[in-house]
Amino acid sequence: MNTAGALVTAATPRVPLLDAASAPLTARRYFSDGDPGPIVAALASVPELLEVTLPFLSTVLSASALDARTKEIVIVRTSAVQECRYCIDAHSVVALDTGLTVAEVRTLSERSPASLPDEREAALLAWIDAVAGATGPVQDSVAARLGASYRDYEIVELTLLIGATMMLNRFCTALSLPTSTEVTMRLTEEGLV
Amino acid sequence: MTAIAEAVRAGELPGRVWMYSNYHCNLACSYCLTESAPKVSKRELTSEAMIGVAHDAADLGFTALGVTGGEPFLLPDMAHRLAELGSILPTVGLTNGTLFTGRRLDAAEELAGTDVALQISLDSADPDVNDAARGPENFAKVVAAIPALVERGVTVRIATTGQDPDAVAAARLCALHRDLGVPDEDHVVRPIINRGRAAEAGMGVDVTESDLPAELTVTADGAFWSPFGPTVVAGQLDTDLLLTRTTVPLRVPAQTLLGLLQGRPAGADSTLNIR
Ligand code: SF4
Repeated sequence: MNTAGALVTAATPRVPLLDAASAPLTARRYFSDGDPGPIVAALASVPELLEVTLPFLSTVLSASALDARTKEIVIVRTSAVQECRYCIDAHSVVALDTGLTVAEVRTLSERSPASLPDEREAALLAWIDAVAGATGPVQDSVAARLGASYRDYEIVELTLLIGATMMLNRFCTALSLPTSTEVTMRLTEEGLV
Repeated sequence: MTAIAEAVRAGELPGRVWMYSNYHCNLACSYCLTESAPKVSKRELTSEAMIGVAHDAADLGFTALGVTGGEPFLLPDMAHRLAELGSILPTVGLTNGTLFTGRRLDAAEELAGTDVALQISLDSADPDVNDAARGPENFAKVVAAIPALVERGVTVRIATTGQDPDAVAAARLCALHRDLGVPDEDHVVRPIINRGRAAEAGMGVDVTESDLPAELTVTADGAFWSPFGPTVVAGQLDTDLLLTRTTVPLRVPAQTLLGLLQGRPAGADSTLNIR
């Protein structure tokens, strides 16, 4: 069974989730194509924060110099370490769409230490666990193992991606943001719930 | 000169900044935009906050202030606050006019000779019609307060709100306000807006932001496009016309408002005469 699936599922959001009718003036464009999801709907209550947070998140989380598979490994694994139900669910779907297998997603979303056969990805998982799963300095050996597989600028981006994901993890978990029905249905179809 | 000052001077941005001093009220009018009543959440701005907004507004190049609520004069120092605001920029204070007896009337004398006008609501020359929307004894209290304030040298305007503004502006009401010492140019007539309690009762005209003057409005919950923005329905503050939660410094919401105005298509102004 997926350990993450045993986490307490958030029932009711702790803050209002705005809709198209209640979206503030500068937030309306995010609602023009339908429901933008609960992160935007929650952030819309403070439109000046939405205005800067969304472009930041979109830049850090979407296509970049890092390949999409690597980015989804980071996001799903960080979310699992942080025990964020919302982010694990949402990004399990994105990870599957990116080409990760159901077995890989299941491994990454477990709270217990995860492993992938490729050394590059195994080094990355160790880095994620050290950054997102602990406080204080990260061991030199973990950094050296990562450095053997990634260039410096990639390490910068990977680490910022972990940090941004952690911010989202705590935001979504603390505010009890709900997983959408579509995501739950897809995860059920894939046997991930 | 700031971009705000240039926009105000060019007529792109209205010069008045409004403040909601509080949301509670001794009345509970049927069309109230803010669902105000005696026991609602007060959502007060402190005197220091209001003076701060006024100084910021003046520094940015705004040219006038407005204070509304709720009933501002439920705050005991309101006359003094208004006098202070009026020393910074010309100020209009909206009030239901029902509290000007005894000490409050005496306190209002501080407004004589200042750059402050009180705008008092009076909806009809017919006491029954007026009181149907605004509550028992409202007419009698208002027609007693207006001349008492005028006698003390306070500038008074009258605001009439009605389903059919042309009908309520009928000759009898104009004759009455002249009798009370308020000239025609100080009588404002406006429609009921379909927001707040009026929306729940199915009253008033539907509006969007293009129908409402883009007057920057500061409340305890953030800054809004127009004093008709921070309305309340079923106890919840409407957010559709929210600009920013940040109100200090005032340039943050002011720049957001200006950005929205400058991005607006030409000819988007309303003809609804909502003031
Ligand atoms: S309309 Fe004005 S006077 Fe009437 S309840 Fe609302 S705030 Fe009070």
